[in-house]
Amino acid sequence: MDIPYTVTARKDTGLYNAKVGIWLFLASEVMLFGGLFSGYVFLRVYADFPWPERALPVVPGLINTFILIGSSVTIVFAWAALKMRKWRQFQVFMIITLLCAGLFMVLKGIEYKAKWSHQAVRMKDFVVIEGHTHKATIDNTGHIHHYHPEGEHGEKGHAAIGDEANGMILVAAEGDSHGEEGHHSDEGLTQSEPFEFNRVVFKADSVTVDLEKFYDPVIRDLMKQAQDQGKSIVLTGDLYGRSTHEVDEKLLASKGDLLSLGMLKKLRAVHLDAKAHNAAIKTKQNRKAWAQLRGSLPKDQKGAPSYKIKGDLVLDEEFNKFLVSAPSSVRFEIMDAAEEGTEKTAASATFVLKPREVREGAESSSLRDGTLLEGELDAKHSQIEMAADAIDFRFVAQRAVEKGIDPEVAIQNTWLIKNNPEVKELWAEHKSHIDKLAKELEKHGFDKNGKPKQFPTDTERYRMGWQELVNMGEGKEVMGVFSGFAGPNHKKDYAKHFPEIVVPREETNLESKFTPRWNNYYAIYFLITGLHGLHVIGGALVLGHFLFCGKKMYLNNPERLANRVEVGGLFWHFVDLVWIFLFPILYLM
Amino acid sequence: MADSVAEIQKAKKLYLFIGLTLFFFTVVTVAVATVEILDFGGRGFDHVDAVIGLIIASIKASLVMLIFMHLNHEKKLVYQLFIMGIVLGVFLMVLTAWAFSDPIRYGKGTTEANKSGFYDPEKAPQD
Repeated sequence: MDIPYTVTARKDTGLYNAKVGIWLFLASEVMLFGGLFSGYVFLRVYADFPWPERALPVVPGLINTFILIGSSVTIVFAWAALKMRKWRQFQVFMIITLLCAGLFMVLKGIEYKAKWSHQAVRMKDFVVIEGHTHKATIDNTGHIHHYHPEGEHGEKGHAAIGDEANGMILVAAEGDSHGEEGHHSDEGLTQSEPFEFNRVVFKADSVTVDLEKFYDPVIRDLMKQAQDQGKSIVLTGDLYGRSTHEVDEKLLASKGDLLSLGMLKKLRAVHLDAKAHNAAIKTKQNRKAWAQLRGSLPKDQKGAPSYKIKGDLVLDEEFNKFLVSAPSSVRFEIMDAAEEGTEKTAASATFVLKPREVREGAESSSLRDGTLLEGELDAKHSQIEMAADAIDFRFVAQRAVEKGIDPEVAIQNTWLIKNNPEVKELWAEHKSHIDKLAKELEKHGFDKNGKPKQFPTDTERYRMGWQELVNMGEGKEVMGVFSGFAGPNHKKDYAKHFPEIVVPREETNLESKFTPRWNNYYAIYFLITGLHGLHVIGGALVLGHFLFCGKKMYLNNPERLANRVEVGGLFWHFVDLVWIFLFPILYLM
Repeated sequence: MADSVAEIQKAKKLYLFIGLTLFFFTVVTVAVATVEILDFGGRGFDHVDAVIGLIIASIKASLVMLIFMHLNHEKKLVYQLFIMGIVLGVFLMVLTAWAFSDPIRYGKGTTEANKSGFYDPEKAPQD
């Protein structure tokens, strides 16, 4: 079937059909992005936290703007080439357009990756610390070591971590023969993949699994971690149970059996079966008791029992003998995996857990699936250790003003200033800089009330960003335009000026990467740019189709292909249009 | 609509010029936002900067729409569809803004923060 009006215009609309279609679609897109932009305004106007102004690195955004505008030019050139029947030229411009789309997505990817690996911590007193968490490895004896990839941070980074003056020494191995922290040359010890220092570390002697709620990945993770340390999780005692159709209780699992998902699933089946059976028995028991009670109730005139209950429900004890029993949770112990035939000895294994998946306690921690770990919380290693590239007191200041407290006093009383001498020193230096700046700005004159017309912004006053931290360092590192391309780069030399901060977990209020979870700004940022990125990919796919599969149509009906490219181009321009607004709103405001 | 070869050749020059103009405006946007002496209004970002940024963005968007998307010479129907999109888009924005006048109030609704009708746990009535 021939599609009508692909080249010629319809009389009533004066347009070929595809153009009507794309404009209808674009109208709906205007509504979609318009709604999202108004969502942004809404979130920003009523934000109850200091909105991260100009928080994104401008250079990648700027390059991306150039790329998209450039590709908008090349796509109209490609269309013009088709109109003039120059296939080769069309191909060239189309390829440039697609390369632009690819480059845009690569830059977007770099930017996203920087966000997803950048740690933020909000303290209970609303101090916000941003930076990169240190990494650690765990060896097969369960000891934790700082992880130092060759070349990264170098000697200085290492020294900073062990700095006595810091008041917080992060030595890993607890006074044993493994030597000082950071040395991962221990003979014969294999170490795990490095994990980040924002985890909960728990030294467990026993694991109690909730048979109803246990979740396979959680159990699998525990088994793997124990196995890596040469430990095994074994059953502490024989388990007996009886399911519906069995007369006697039988052995379900015996002491010393290894934890396995198969075993848990078998136990779960028996438990659920027994539970259902018992529930049915209880229902029957209750029904019988009710029937008896109703029979003894006085009847009204129509013969129906009146429900003024006098007396108790008498349950028939006979039913209880039908009840079956099966365990609802199983306790395992951690053992040293011994050689065949020898006795296993009790031990403990160190589990490294994601903070979101565990409710930690000093002596027992429960995982998200109800699995209970008993033992001892490794509080020292459950702290968040990071090299901070920004320390932000704006939120403290905002809360202080709301409560009618002097922000400076509030900041002086924060946990971080009180406990970290290095930050205290930096803050004092920062304040002197800002006071100097305020003096300088007084040259712009004063208003009627005697207040200076220009004064440092809240961001300048209360936030120490990474450039400032570097500038306050002794070396005055020279930073090029690209040294912080997608944010502060902790692999560069200047990173040695980032203060080392250790935050106990109980002092924190929220810790997150720079993901939608961190705050509304990042939520809307990822939502709109993500959707825009999908548009770029979709548009590139369609344009790529015209480029790689269009030759046949070009030979048969070049005008039709030109119209297709025009319509695809209209969509592409729209994608550019959205970015023209996104760039200033998200990157510059 | 530019249909003859000569017209398209002429249009190509215009497209290139518009592209360069857009580059220029992009640089202006960044300069206005980052260079200190070009910081209009109060120091740092404020409503003046927001208005300037949005005006430049609107100029850029208009250029893209008028030239690249051929809205400077289109058929009537396209304008109708486009205006419908804008009108409904604005309607959606107003719909979101409508939440600002949410009649439901928590607490006494006297403080600035509370007038918006947003939930403030500290001012919520205790039951």
